[in-house]
Amino acid sequence: MADVEIKTLTMNFGPQHPAAHGVLRLVVEMDGEIVERCDPHIGLLHRGTEKLIEYKSFLQAVPYFDRLDYVSPMNQEHAYALAVEKLLGITVPERGQYIRVLFSEVTRILNHLLNVTTFAMDVGALTPPLWGFEQRELLMEFYEGVSGARMHAAYFRPGGVHQDLPEGMLDAMERWIAQFYPFLKDIESLLNDNRIFRQRTVDIGVVSKEQALDWAFSGPMIRASGLAWDLRKSQPYDVYDRMEFDIPVGKTGDCFARYLVRVEEMYQSARIMEQCVKALRTVKGPVRIDDRKIAPPRRAEMKGSMEALIHHFKLYTEGYKVPAGETYTAVEAPKGEFAVYLVSDGTNKPYRCKIRAPGFPHLQALDMMTRGHMLADMSANIGSLDIVFGEIDR
Amino acid sequence: MDDGMKELGDHIAAASGATTGVSVRLGELMLETTPDKVVALLTFLRDDPKCLFKQLVDVCGVDWPEREKRFDVVYNLLSLAKNQRIRVKVATDETTPVPSAAAVYSSASWFERETYDLYGVWFADHPDLRRILTDYGFEGHPMRKDFPLTGFVEVRWDDVQKRVVYEPVKLTQEFRKFDFLSPWEGGIERMLPGDEKATKAS
Amino acid sequence: MGVITPAQSNSVNPAADAALSRALNDELADKGFVVAQLDKLVNWARSGSLWGLTFGLACCGVEMIHCWMSRYDLDRFGVAPMPSPRSADVMIVAGTLTNKMAPALRKVYDQMAEPRYVISMGSCANGGGYYHYSYAVVRGCDRVVPVDIYVPGCPPTAEALLYGVLQLQKKVRRVGTLVR
Repeated sequence: MADVEIKTLTMNFGPQHPAAHGVLRLVVEMDGEIVERCDPHIGLLHRGTEKLIEYKSFLQAVPYFDRLDYVSPMNQEHAYALAVEKLLGITVPERGQYIRVLFSEVTRILNHLLNVTTFAMDVGALTPPLWGFEQRELLMEFYEGVSGARMHAAYFRPGGVHQDLPEGMLDAMERWIAQFYPFLKDIESLLNDNRIFRQRTVDIGVVSKEQALDWAFSGPMIRASGLAWDLRKSQPYDVYDRMEFDIPVGKTGDCFARYLVRVEEMYQSARIMEQCVKALRTVKGPVRIDDRKIAPPRRAEMKGSMEALIHHFKLYTEGYKVPAGETYTAVEAPKGEFAVYLVSDGTNKPYRCKIRAPGFPHLQALDMMTRGHMLADMSANIGSLDIVFGEIDR
Repeated sequence: MDDGMKELGDHIAAASGATTGVSVRLGELMLETTPDKVVALLTFLRDDPKCLFKQLVDVCGVDWPEREKRFDVVYNLLSLAKNQRIRVKVATDETTPVPSAAAVYSSASWFERETYDLYGVWFADHPDLRRILTDYGFEGHPMRKDFPLTGFVEVRWDDVQKRVVYEPVKLTQEFRKFDFLSPWEGGIERMLPGDEKATKAS
Repeated sequence: MGVITPAQSNSVNPAADAALSRALNDELADKGFVVAQLDKLVNWARSGSLWGLTFGLACCGVEMIHCWMSRYDLDRFGVAPMPSPRSADVMIVAGTLTNKMAPALRKVYDQMAEPRYVISMGSCANGGGYYHYSYAVVRGCDRVVPVDIYVPGCPPTAEALLYGVLQLQKKVRRVGTLVR
């Protein structure tokens, strides 16, 4: 029998696909059902955020950061706020820092809940999202409590946070944390020893330590590959150096390890929340800096003081001027190292604001991770990458 | 902290011989180099036992249209072993290519594609230099300072041709841009009556 | 046996609903059938099972998923998530539509079977919103597909989307015809 030459099949995946977590388009070259090469086409959600930021004042640019990675809004505001504060040379009051850390961790749980549960849905389990999204709703209520918005809060501003916590929020958080640990146990009981889940994730998309470094992985992705690297520990910002928490590290670097790392991170985040809630009961004081050239006056103050009114008007029309300089400021966002490379030329608008999204290099490595796997493993890989197109395409 | 960085910067400058400037500002170490030496410098930074910058976390461009070499290509590196960040800057213009770092760091590939897409900086020896973020068939490089914010084309479904068509941008309301650098909002160029006295007096 | 008259569900008056259903039951018990207009019946059936095409583009997509998950549970209105355009009735455009995505959106819309409806969710889909002046964004998804219901907000809360879906149901009952 003569040899039959089999042509590789080129298949289009997306951009409208439920397992693509947004608008990913993949051009996959396949030999039968084995993926030989995949070429992600991104930019289907490219909105020109960086260009728009150059046309807005420093304060007006804050809400763009919510809309980048729309699953973890506040962490990104945090990176931007820290970058602007660094250029301005100001420090946030202690209470403001605690509130920021508290809400960074709320956001981390929000993000991981969405990722872990939809990842489970991608590989065939519907119960985890049904349970997990109820917890997300509860967390969004905290968002609503402090900022008025369920998702896009614009709560962390350069100079602190916009408002103090409302009354009763700390008690509500304590109650929430108490019920969260058993909830997480339930989620683990659904997935950890689930035969189907394990078969779909164990030994899929293995990334070694060297690969993780070479492809600029960060966050849970690099930790799952066995490198204990967390910016909250190694380059702490705000009051993270006072928090006690552990860094989970995966051993195998496959999809299952990434899932386990994320789940453990949720426990740790809840621990940090506990400590913040405890600290916030004693740490009183302002939540943003008392500099009228950067932080606006309170509304009540404006009713009586002409000066406050002028400050308010100037701040919300012209904004503040940031001294010329440049900084690369990174935070440990739930997805990895989210950084802002901010260049200021001394005016009231950023000259250049490069957004370093953690998902961008992660998605880049998808080709390396899926090569030689079956097509069905692709969706497991995409799920475990934790990609969100708002931040990748910007 | 800053002293240690200065030391490290001097060590890199002396040992690699590929830098044209070392500075520490706001607690961040920055090196400057030229396009022909950038790959050698990055390789050195990755492999030198005092540096071990194993991760290239970001590559981006900055546009300074008034300069002769209008683009800065900025590489941000991270060393996990030393817990240290470093920034490398290369100045270039529209025609001078920058050698690609994709052979040194795999992660560079997409970052360079993005820089090419948004700024039009050419990377030599790049394995796959295509546009990445902008539309298929997009013209121009949107992040350049002379590219208008609203671009040149917008899309619309054409019911006659039965396809999505591109048309020149027509805005119902212009983007309102306020110039706060001038005391007169809107940036009035001409002298107002009485201004000449103010400048004379000072 | 028999058919049911188009029920006025989501009515503000539960007493009237109860009275209507009692009258219906009585008529059924008495005659064994009820009479209804066919087009109204069809519209009622349509509005009760609007399968939604999940076109989650950006931030609003998250709120859209929330709307389908446990707390808001859009399924109880018969609006089930359906990733395939060929079996979906209503497309929810949730998020920023960019120039690069526009042909794909139209293609998906063209694949849907008649009667089809479009809900534009969020400021970006309504008119570009926060990204209106960007070089890469379509200033409103109604430039590409015809839109039935606009849901405002950035993002609209899950509740707002739910309200939008209910408005669409009303619209289907009001203007829907057998032949389109």
